[in-house]
Amino acid sequence: MPPRTCGLCNNARAMLKRPKTGQQICRDCFFYVFETEVHNTITEAKLFKPGDKVAIGASGGKDSTVLAHVMKALNERYQYGLDLFLLSIDEGITGYRDDSLETVKRNQQQYDMPLKILSYDELYGWTMDAIVEQVGKKNNCTFCGVFRRQALDRGAASLGVDHIVTGHNADDIAETVLMNIMRGDIARLGRCTLICTEGEDTIKRSKPFKYAYEKEIVMYAYFKKLDYFSTECIYSPDAYRGHARVFLKDLEAARPSAIIDIIHSGEAFEVSEEVKATQKVQQTCKRCGYMSSNDLCKACTLLEGLERGVANSAITDRARKKLDAEGPAPENLRTIPFYHAPSATPNIAIAINTP
Amino acid sequence: MSESCGNPAAETDALMARRTKFDRSRDCVKCKTNTGNIVIRHAVYCKDCFTPLQITKLKRTLEPTINAASAAAKGPSRNKLRADGNLAIGISGGLGSTVLLDLIARCYYSTDGSTKTKGKGGTKHPRNNESIWREARVFYIEMCGAYPESASRDRTDEIRLIVEKYPAFEFCPLRIEDAFDPAWWARVGGRSPEKEHAMGVNLASEDLLLGSVSSPTGSPCAALRAYLSSLPTATATQSAIANLTRLLLLYTATSTGSSHLLLGTTLTSLSIGLISGVAVGGGFVVREEAGEQWAPRGGTSASAVKIVRPLKDMGMKECAAWAWWNGLAVVGKENVSGGRQGIGGLTKDFIVGLERDYPSTVSTIARTCAKLAPKAAASERCVLCERPAQKGVQEWKARISIRSVRDANTDASQAAPPPKLNPPHDGHQLPPTLALTPHLCYACHTTFTSRSSRSAAHLAKGVALGAQGGPVPLPAWVASRMHEFGSGGDSAGHAGGDKEVWQGKQMGAGEMQAVVGEFLLEE
Ligand SMILES: [Zn+2]
Ligand SMILES: [Zn+2]
Ligand SMILES: [Zn+2]
Ligand SMILES: [Zn+2]
Repeated sequence: MPPRTCGLCNNARAMLKRPKTGQQICRDCFFYVFETEVHNTITEAKLFKPGDKVAIGASGGKDSTVLAHVMKALNERYQYGLDLFLLSIDEGITGYRDDSLETVKRNQQQYDMPLKILSYDELYGWTMDAIVEQVGKKNNCTFCGVFRRQALDRGAASLGVDHIVTGHNADDIAETVLMNIMRGDIARLGRCTLICTEGEDTIKRSKPFKYAYEKEIVMYAYFKKLDYFSTECIYSPDAYRGHARVFLKDLEAARPSAIIDIIHSGEAFEVSEEVKATQKVQQTCKRCGYMSSNDLCKACTLLEGLERGVANSAITDRARKKLDAEGPAPENLRTIPFYHAPSATPNIAIAINTP
Repeated sequence: MSESCGNPAAETDALMARRTKFDRSRDCVKCKTNTGNIVIRHAVYCKDCFTPLQITKLKRTLEPTINAASAAAKGPSRNKLRADGNLAIGISGGLGSTVLLDLIARCYYSTDGSTKTKGKGGTKHPRNNESIWREARVFYIEMCGAYPESASRDRTDEIRLIVEKYPAFEFCPLRIEDAFDPAWWARVGGRSPEKEHAMGVNLASEDLLLGSVSSPTGSPCAALRAYLSSLPTATATQSAIANLTRLLLLYTATSTGSSHLLLGTTLTSLSIGLISGVAVGGGFVVREEAGEQWAPRGGTSASAVKIVRPLKDMGMKECAAWAWWNGLAVVGKENVSGGRQGIGGLTKDFIVGLERDYPSTVSTIARTCAKLAPKAAASERCVLCERPAQKGVQEWKARISIRSVRDANTDASQAAPPPKLNPPHDGHQLPPTLALTPHLCYACHTTFTSRSSRSAAHLAKGVALGAQGGPVPLPAWVASRMHEFGSGGDSAGHAGGDKEVWQGKQMGAGEMQAVVGEFLLEE
């Protein structure tokens, strides 16, 4: 077969078939369209203004490694005028985070960005290894997700940053749309396709890779020779990978635009006005000041369960009842330090309150 | 960094807890005396209690749609159901529609027109009064024309036998190729069929340029096959057939003065439709997927037909039990060849599997989608599916996936020019009378243009499906609508475009090429 010319520039030799469109294009055109689509996403949503301090949530995995690279490139090319930081969370998983944190540290040098690493251990007094020891492997991902979200906000607050960008890609978002429909989580369904979420007193979070295909992120890293740490969390066994993810991959195989089409669907609808009126209002956690829809935020509930040896209290109703039956939380319970939004105090102490 | 560690189970704690087949007792939860015969979402029912339960569910869905005006009224007329028009029931021969037919006949018509129902329900009972609808028709669309390769059989006569068991219903067979038949279009009140017949669309570029069908194929069946075989994916073929079916039913139902079009969509098939609708980009019309009110363009709300799915609270299992206990013969639907490869088929497999393991998921999907509303007002109606369409769909697509030089150059302020791209040509300024794209909703445009990686390779080699034979024929309502644009008969308030382009004459493919040549991508 004779070499094909690039479907975009009609000039160079086509090097790849774009996973998103199936088009056969050259390498330079691929870099160009990939970066320009991210740029379009950023400018269309007016994500940044000059002088913004932006933390890139960096895990050492492919998404955040490519995100750091692209953010730096676009910041220079289009003169966004951003102050970029790397922010990493150390969950305390032996053999998993150790290596990926090395990647993040290399990125810090390559991209010349300040790096902040915040550990579950210093924030919550628990490593994931210790949590798994207590709760087993079944529900530990609940802890990890809840703890990580809060840790990122707290890390950003300590850096005095007003915006966190994360590497969530189009596949993640499409999968979340499907999951939220299937589990009836109407509040999250309304939020999950937003490019930027901002609570009243929390740090802005956004997803510049919202429309970037996972396969293209990998392709970009491959052609740019970016090194990233590719591994699945050792506490997330394959059997748990979820029906929605497998289904989404099937849909993508049938028609590659399916991922973007699902996101388009998710952006086209919203929770109807009648239903909105019945939704819970956002409040702050009585114990730690973090945003919450109940008196206690999820992290505090999980932590209390861990501390009192009823780890599943936030997961099953029965365990929660058992905890409540034991009476109120003891006075000397170890808790998360009180959360202050960055507007209130730029720097907060990240020491654990040990009685 | 992703917030979750890549484990979807992290956020699914509340969902999908597998449960035991039924809760504790084997006795019917309703009468608490009989031994249960069926388990419906963890609850056990006996056969005697099952029947009234299903009838209640059906009435709860259907009756509030019948006469909103008198339902709000007080006094004796309050409970009297009286529809504004006739009844249309769409039947496919599948399980759901077979059960629907039986349930409707049983609830609202006396099955033998005689003594059987006397004494039951009193004089106020609708069966003993005038019917709710003056006339009742059952529409069946024969699909075998869409699947020539599978040599599928014509089921019209088998369906006729089933419908004729119910004397209240008039059987009205249609064929899927009627969508391309000027005679059908004239029958349902469409205009100037001869001229429209020759209009087609060229699928070679994303603009979907209009043209005239170069070698008029003659029979509607040939036009249907040309249309379907030009589509780029199995998903597109499934979507297209579903869309043709829906509009054949809607146009025919409104032309027969129907106020209600009932479909045998079960809870299971509704969930499948909702999820696959989302997966093909139809989120904007997620509400319409569950139920819609529709009138032909320019029609008043008095001429509108309501699509109602009275079985939407009944799962596949309940339907199967109803058919079994009532001895209903199910002819079966056309088995779509290659269906598994398409999004519709994949979604079906997925949902049916979920329903087996996590019985509450299907109802959760339906309940969730019922809480959604379109985010913005519709700008107009899509010419193909005739549902509300959003504004700015093409701009969105161009921004999110750059597929051509002109997309790449939309940002004039860019600091880094793309590597040696060819001079741009701006297809967004195509006169609206020349291309179909500006008149399509997101999902319909995607149906025509989104390729699988295999078909994309074909395109690169210049043997794009559909590009081979020039323009392919369009369904009658699309051709008719686009013709109106061309001749300036624009009722929807569009920018009229270049009216002189059409001047009532059809242009040859060659002439068309000359007019739009500068807009075309070089192959
Ligand atoms: Zn190129
Ligand atoms: Zn808290
Ligand atoms: Zn019973
Ligand atoms: Zn449409």
